[in-house]
Amino acid sequence: MAERPLLVFRQITKSFGAVRALRGVDLEVRAGEVHALLGENGAGKSTLIKVATGAHAPDSGTIHLAGERLERLDPALARRRGIACIYQQPALFPELSVAENLALRLEPTSAWRRVVWSERRRMAATLLSRIGADIDPEREVRTLSMPEQQLVEIASAMGAGARVVIMDEPTASLTRREQERLFGIVTALRREGVAVIYISHRLEEILTLADRVTVLRDGQTVACHARAEVDEAALIRLMVGREVDQLYPASESAPGAVRLELKGLCCRAAGGRPVSLRVRAGEVYGLAGLVGAGRTELARTIFGLTPADAGEVWIDGSRVSIGSPQAAIAQGVAYVPEDRRRHGVVLELPVGQNISLAAWRRIFPLGWLRGDRERSEAEHFVRALSIKTPDTDAAAANLSGGNQQKVALARWLATRPRVLVLDEPTQGVDVGAKSEIHRLVRRFAAEGMAVLLISSDLPEVLGMSDRIGVMRGGELVAELPQGATAMDVMSAALGQTPSEGAA
Amino acid sequence: MGAEPAQLSTVASARASTWRRWLLRYEVLLLAVLIVEWLLFYHFGTTTNRRGVTVGFGTLDRQFDILRHSCEIGLLALALTPVILTGGIDLSVGSLLGLCAVVFGGLTHALGLPLPVAAVVTLLVGAAAGGVNAGLICQLRLPPLIVTLGTYSLFRGLAEAFTRGSVTYSDFPAGFLMLGQGRWAGLPVQAWIFLMVAVGVWIWVHRTFSGRAFRVIGFSPDGARYAGVGVRGQLTAAYVAAGLIAALAALVYTSRLGQAKADAGLGYELFAITAVVLGGTSIFGGRGTVTGTLLGVAAIAVLKNGLATLPVVMRMNAAEELAGLLTGALLLAALAAGKLAERWRRSPAG
Ligand SMILES: Nc1ncnc2c1ncn2[C@@H]1O[C@H](COP(=O)(O)OP(=O)(O)OP(=O)(O)O)[C@@H](O)[C@H]1O
Ligand SMILES: [Mg+2]
Repeated sequence: MAERPLLVFRQITKSFGAVRALRGVDLEVRAGEVHALLGENGAGKSTLIKVATGAHAPDSGTIHLAGERLERLDPALARRRGIACIYQQPALFPELSVAENLALRLEPTSAWRRVVWSERRRMAATLLSRIGADIDPEREVRTLSMPEQQLVEIASAMGAGARVVIMDEPTASLTRREQERLFGIVTALRREGVAVIYISHRLEEILTLADRVTVLRDGQTVACHARAEVDEAALIRLMVGREVDQLYPASESAPGAVRLELKGLCCRAAGGRPVSLRVRAGEVYGLAGLVGAGRTELARTIFGLTPADAGEVWIDGSRVSIGSPQAAIAQGVAYVPEDRRRHGVVLELPVGQNISLAAWRRIFPLGWLRGDRERSEAEHFVRALSIKTPDTDAAAANLSGGNQQKVALARWLATRPRVLVLDEPTQGVDVGAKSEIHRLVRRFAAEGMAVLLISSDLPEVLGMSDRIGVMRGGELVAELPQGATAMDVMSAALGQTPSEGAA
Repeated sequence: MGAEPAQLSTVASARASTWRRWLLRYEVLLLAVLIVEWLLFYHFGTTTNRRGVTVGFGTLDRQFDILRHSCEIGLLALALTPVILTGGIDLSVGSLLGLCAVVFGGLTHALGLPLPVAAVVTLLVGAAAGGVNAGLICQLRLPPLIVTLGTYSLFRGLAEAFTRGSVTYSDFPAGFLMLGQGRWAGLPVQAWIFLMVAVGVWIWVHRTFSGRAFRVIGFSPDGARYAGVGVRGQLTAAYVAAGLIAALAALVYTSRLGQAKADAGLGYELFAITAVVLGGTSIFGGRGTVTGTLLGVAAIAVLKNGLATLPVVMRMNAAEELAGLLTGALLLAALAAGKLAERWRRSPAG
């Protein structure tokens, strides 16, 4: 080995009570490489990262940075040593501006320091432009989209002079374009000699970006390979320990009658534009578009979170009015939201209670809690979605990201909806589970559900949808039949009308 | 065959850790504190007077006294438990107790309404006052602390305006005084009322989906909304119930003292909140139990009344002050111990 590794983990172990999250992990990362970390949901990737950033103390094992042993690591020390992390969820202060957030991380802290605002703004602007982010430093973080917040995180890592930048599923909620920009940044980091640890469940990303790949399974390192030595199938085999059928399940039945129909539906108060579309029973209708295209807003309006103030919703041929999520549930509409940690699950609540939360009317007749029924319902979904959890009484916060996503999905499947709106349902979900979820969605569709699938994962939209609606600027700009190509979708999403004039 | 001993030992250790988890539960700690407290007072606070009669803490009369005196604050603590579980707070319950007391006095004395009618109207007034809190919190999205700080002054002010600060209603018929001074089946009558309310609130919080919803709202109001939990409805229920129970406490109070005055229940809300927090309910919402609240009420009541029976304290004539001091110390010590126990409980069994 020519290069000396920059960051070395040796035999790291970490347990949470009876759960052995890490059982002797070895990892070597070199300066100037992109090192991908791969593994199923719950394999221990995030835990390893938290050990590296000092958020968790390992039970045993050592970490060396540039030959020097790091002991009693805490987050502040890790940052000083040049280890920066962009977590699955950005950890910025929402009420502060971008510049203030950056200053909090980067300026020396002392209580009586004078704040030089112009300096602060200038520094923020420089950092942001260095990574090619077009964000006004004055904006409150609250008003930024998830990808924009990630860019701020990256800027802060750069400003801190990070030698190791860790990215835990940075693209889970990014669209193609933002993803490409991120790749540009990662490549630039590599050129500057920074070591990048990159975690993702999207194998094609890893194959284009990574120099080396380490695979974790059940808290242990199972392999470390150079990019050239592996292909997608090999990685999956290493991760899962078996072959995974990655083909998208074909639709099993001809779509039935129109189940969901929107007629000029919108919530003007929330800045929506009228949208009309129809989804048949048994149909999976994909909604594509760039982030900010208004797909989530539409979903929120359908579900009554921002109740419609114009237009109509028809379900199974009768007009319904949905003024609140409760009304939506009563009409058989379910919505699996995009932000699982804030909206998809209640982190403090046990897995079982999370699953029964929306379907309580069915599971708890007359509102009387029934532990037995709750448990059997929860266990059913834990099995059906292979949710990795010690039991149904474990707090959702203790599950790995992908497993939390499955709990969020289970909560809504438990309501046995007629209309299922999925917003990024497989973000952060590993390959095996992803194809399980796809198969499940197909099966539910086959049973007569109308599925509205919002996804920024273009192959997923293309592979799963019977029809694809493309949104731009809050409006439905195109409707493409099954078999549309990525090109068709992208050009519609970007507003370039294809010369043939589809839709 | 060879695997059997290993299996047995895991079962045994699982059982041991279940035990340990149970022993380190906050409620169990609190129960232990209560028992120790009680035994100490029993030992040091019970004396025999010159005529050879046992007096002080160890008498049944004194125990009943403790029960009588703790019922009103206990009721308010029960009223506050669901509210605090939702991450809210209701500072107005003590003032509402005062308002309901004078409303009841006014209805019976000035208007001459029959007692049962007056009682029902008083309860409705309490519920309506809770509805005012709920309406301001849910419709205007104001923080519960601010809203109930406002109604805290408002309700007390109304009570004083009604009575012009001076009228005291007394001369209630004996039948009504039974409620606060009599006994039924061996126990003070209000103890039965308290018990019924306690069981009701316990069932509500721990056995119905509504109670589950309180926790969810306490943990994450956004998460609750996205799960289709009717946040407004649940909050309204919690605050209206708090008002209703405060009105019930007002009736008990009026009956115990035989009079209704505008300053009834002054400062009770703080005692009640202390009891709830001592009972292990998180002030941020989500976590807490009704059993904990009951133990918290009992621990404070025994402390307050027990101190007054200690000869040393009686000589110093400082029972009130000392009670305040020790209640504060107990609260902080119990919460600190709870945190430590939590850490042991989480640490791997060994
Ligand atoms: N704080 C915690 N308490 C208890 N168990 C935990 C805790 N954090 C993680 N775990 C458990 O440790 C294991 C590894 O979790 P981790 O989050 O590292 O997985 P991951 O590889 O990042 O998965 P994902 O791809 O889903 O994000 C899981 O079984 C998880 O349930
Ligand atoms: Mg993770």
